Amino acid sequence: MSESLKFMMGDFAAEFPTDRLFAKNHMWAMPQGNAIVRFGFSAYAVRLLQDIYFLEFGIEEQSELKNRQEFGNIESKKAESGLYAPMAGIVVRINERLLKDPSGINVDKYGDGWLMEMQGDSSELLSPAQYLEHLAKAWDVAQRTIKGQANTIDSNEE
Amino acid sequence: MVIASNGSIAPSGLLVVVSQGQSRSPEKRSLEDAIATIAASLPNTKSLIVPHLYDLASDSQSVKKMREWTGPIVILSWLFDRAGFWVLDRHEIRGQHGEVLLLNLDLVSDDEDEEEDKEDEKAADRVTNIAVRPSRKIYSIDMRSGGSGEVFAAEFRRILSVEQLDLPQKDLLSLARFLNPTNSTALSIDGSGRLDGNANGDAIAPVSHESPLGIVPLRMDEHPQRRWYPVIDYSRCTNCMECIDFCLFGVYGVDRGETILVEQPDNCRKGCPACSRVCPENAIMFPQHKTPAIAGAPVDAGGFKIDLSKLFGAPERDEDPAEAAARERNEQLILAGRAAVDFNSSSTESAANGSATATIEARVPKQERKPDELDSLLDQLDALNL
Repeated sequence: MSESLKFMMGDFAAEFPTDRLFAKNHMWAMPQGNAIVRFGFSAYAVRLLQDIYFLEFGIEEQSELKNRQEFGNIESKKAESGLYAPMAGIVVRINERLLKDPSGINVDKYGDGWLMEMQGDSSELLSPAQYLEHLAKAWDVAQRTIKGQANTIDSNEE
Repeated sequence: MVIASNGSIAPSGLLVVVSQGQSRSPEKRSLEDAIATIAASLPNTKSLIVPHLYDLASDSQSVKKMREWTGPIVILSWLFDRAGFWVLDRHEIRGQHGEVLLLNLDLVSDDEDEEEDKEDEKAADRVTNIAVRPSRKIYSIDMRSGGSGEVFAAEFRRILSVEQLDLPQKDLLSLARFLNPTNSTALSIDGSGRLDGNANGDAIAPVSHESPLGIVPLRMDEHPQRRWYPVIDYSRCTNCMECIDFCLFGVYGVDRGETILVEQPDNCRKGCPACSRVCPENAIMFPQHKTPAIAGAPVDAGGFKIDLSKLFGAPERDEDPAEAAARERNEQLILAGRAAVDFNSSSTESAANGSATATIEARVPKQERKPDELDSLLDQLDALNL
């Protein structure tokens, strides 16, 4: 993880190592060989979440997921969210240690704080540069989505 | 206080049970401890700390302990109060709803009275009208309701007064006897009170005291696995059997009186709330579901935190509850290695369960947040420096 790209979230510089791929839903993706990819939260996601208090997987190992299928949920100091499959495939491994102590994600998001490994078609994952483009494009929408929840009665945000 | 000869406790006081959250939030943990400590210091009150209520097995020590108590109970959990009440009911810790004034203000809507009136009209066909619960009161409190221990203390004192357990000096004598028993029969409670070799020595009693103040809560040292299963609100359930027909995983069954029950809770598919969507009476709760209406919120209300699901890849969906239920069930069938059911999920076909659809639309009203919550959300956002 020697080199990384930066994206400014307001005043906060989120860093993204260039030794791996990324998914549009703000997970990093490290190919492990044999079509297996390890996933974890990117700095962008962790910055939005901040201190993570609770993580739940709604599936077991060997479950087959469609792309974007919900597979769990997460709660942090600032937010909560469902967890959605970053690609289609079979979940071959879950990082069980995070169940006991989800703060492992905050401590080492690009290493021991990995979430799970999936085996499947990773062709739609993004390179670090592509992911940064995606972030730049999505940044306005992200801010609107977050602030929109506080400002609007109708929650049908983009 | 009377101590039964079998060592169990025949109470004449109030039992306050604090159900610990699964979350590691330090704020939550310290509030739990504060509440339990306060409860332990009140007259005629026993304080018990148990693991997350929803995860407890029926044969767990925590459940056994609560079942022994025949007097009024205050249950505090990080669940909606209705969910807390019916989880206890499921474990045969039953009673009548005790009125709680300490409410989760974010969840109280103006039309609540209206809703209650409607329920009264239909009261005749509810399961609880046939299988009447015992008369003792169970006060279920959502710990998200109050910020500080003091607020909870005030509510406990109010409940003690309602239960006529706030008697001062006179009763302290019998309590003192309970705390410092002088006969061997009474001492046996010490054995049952210390469960699983509690290393902290947080024994229930007797502990030597000058006064009841300073008694420590009894902490149940159990570590249950996480569970996922439906909880039925029998004050709403009409025993219509929609859920048993819909669920294809054998979760539901009926008792000898042919009343619906969650017979095989651990057959339930983790994360799947589909049966709650088809219940025409909104009687099925999944207390851990992130949608408040499904988790047992009194009225639909926003969560307490920002929902990042859309940023993290939640698909955009425009489906009615019956379609959602059919899709969720199919996802679970496939995950279980079974074939999906060809449940025509076009809106006309799924309207076979039209009443469910209407009910669920009704229970997801447009979200209205109170200004103070909005303010705090904005404060949180400011802290993000977005």
